Amino acid sequence: MKKLSIVHLTLFLALAVLLVSGCAKKPAPTPTAASETPVVVSERPVGQDVRGIDERPVTEGQISEQDTAGLGMGQASADLQPIFFEFDQYTLSPQARQTLADNAAFLRSRSTVNVLIEGHCDERGSDEYNLALGERRARATRDYLASLGVAPERLSIISYGEERPLEQGSNEAAYAKNRRAEFRIR
Amino acid sequence: MMRLSLLLFSLAIFCPSLTLAQIEIRAPGQQTLPLAVVPFLPLEPGMPTEVAREVQEVLTGDLDLAGLFSFVAPAAFLSDARRLGLTSTEVDFAQWRMLGAEAVIKGGFSVKGNDLVLEARLYDVVSRRLLTGRRYLGKVEDARRMAHSFADQVMKSLTGEDGPFNTRIAFISNRTGHKELYLMDVDGHQPIRLTDHRSIVLNPDFSPVSKDVIFTSYKGGNTDLYRKEIYSGREAKISSRAGLNIAGRYRPDGREIALTLSHEGNSELYLIGTDGQMHKRLTDNWGIDVDPSWSTRSDEIAFVSDRQGNPQVFIQDILKGTVRRLTATGRYNATPAWSPKGDRIAFSRQEGGQFDLYTIRPDGSDERRLTFGPGSKEHPRWSPDGRFLVYSSDLGGKKAIYVMRADGTGSRRISPPGSDCSHPAWSGKW
Repeated sequence: MKKLSIVHLTLFLALAVLLVSGCAKKPAPTPTAASETPVVVSERPVGQDVRGIDERPVTEGQISEQDTAGLGMGQASADLQPIFFEFDQYTLSPQARQTLADNAAFLRSRSTVNVLIEGHCDERGSDEYNLALGERRARATRDYLASLGVAPERLSIISYGEERPLEQGSNEAAYAKNRRAEFRIR
Repeated sequence: MMRLSLLLFSLAIFCPSLTLAQIEIRAPGQQTLPLAVVPFLPLEPGMPTEVAREVQEVLTGDLDLAGLFSFVAPAAFLSDARRLGLTSTEVDFAQWRMLGAEAVIKGGFSVKGNDLVLEARLYDVVSRRLLTGRRYLGKVEDARRMAHSFADQVMKSLTGEDGPFNTRIAFISNRTGHKELYLMDVDGHQPIRLTDHRSIVLNPDFSPVSKDVIFTSYKGGNTDLYRKEIYSGREAKISSRAGLNIAGRYRPDGREIALTLSHEGNSELYLIGTDGQMHKRLTDNWGIDVDPSWSTRSDEIAFVSDRQGNPQVFIQDILKGTVRRLTATGRYNATPAWSPKGDRIAFSRQEGGQFDLYTIRPDGSDERRLTFGPGSKEHPRWSPDGRFLVYSSDLGGKKAIYVMRADGTGSRRISPPGSDCSHPAWSGKW
């Protein structure tokens, strides 16, 4: 009988909670509940608050393959090569500096061209941290191009974090390609 | 059971919800109450049985997740399960007692056109009394929602604290080919797409006091912060400062938002109003500062910073500005989530290329690992009652949304298959 006392006690508890919280809901006037204890409480119609979502229903839309290329900000430039980074780093390697020197030369020769620098990360790491890390990569890239004589106002930056990998796959080869800064002519 | 009863008794007198919740969190599955969930019966003949099936599924699923119950096998049910009898004088308690049930849920429904009336009752088999009863009026398609509401009511009746089952979970899915914001029930049913940005939508957070959600989107060509009213569909860009406008988190009173901005050159934490107006800069450090999470009293914020070399969780006192490091071990700790009870902080730790979930006390003690095995588990968020966590895992290839108890047991996948689902956020009481 010890075991059986639990539900009884929880009833007491429920009542205690009702008392403590000063619950003032009206007893339900339902015919079936009329003979029951006053614990029966009327509930607001559940239906009322679930409507009015002013959106289209969820559909299994077709997946567009072109969209991963970017947000229509311009094409990736064949003349401006991407640079790559080490894991959780935004410092420019000697190789990245060489590539940026070439990119800077191209940009100096085309003074009307404006460029968007995209910072990217590999899929490891937290999404929000990688957004900040991708921005640091883009910023470091912009600052270096500016130091090589490209007018800073021609250079804008955006971070995609790990949202737009160049190469799918969970291996070091893919990771290495995805930790990058890319250039789009605007 | 006697021990639990005594606890329940003393707690009923002193402080009902707090310590009871600890019993649930610390020892789910250890002391379970034998419960019979009887298929709901039509109040009049000739009603469709689909409603009964859905109610049964929802009640069993929710109460199983709660971890407080053992279920009497429906195959063993006797004649009382087939009799409507919804008053305590009509229920044949002896039958349920024979099956070992200490509590029984019975109910009935009636469908007229598209209108649904659902009657639900929780009985104490031992004392032969009604513990709680509810009548729900709505549409046929609200059957699941009514059942979630009654599951909350069962939790309240038996523990003194409401359940979190009639709430929503926001998440990001790429099922249209773009990452958009969705909403679903806590068991993954009734997913609804909320955005049509056709770019990248990330990292939602619910207002604790209204049906609003904030998120980051690339729609405008920058990582801007948006706020959307779920029912009206109204949407506004509230922070579009140059650079990052990410990881927005409502203060527990819903009146302010902590987020990461980089418009001053480095990613730092700031406080803005819900209209986007600048209130205060919180951090000033060369490192990356992201992923704020408010303490229950809104006096501290846990966040991620690499200011000591690699990503770790820190806690900043908002008024004093003092900062202390929370996580002492691991080389990569991220996405802290302060529990609504304030007693623990969940976070994800990367080891060997894979994230697993942990909780720790706000003073840095008593770290516990919650998840094991394959799959990277990320973005933990608490249910509004602090009993459960929702998170994403890429177990099996695609990312999906899972829920589990706060001690790491009972995990189950809830998001629909076929696309990557990530960045879950659990609403407050709906």
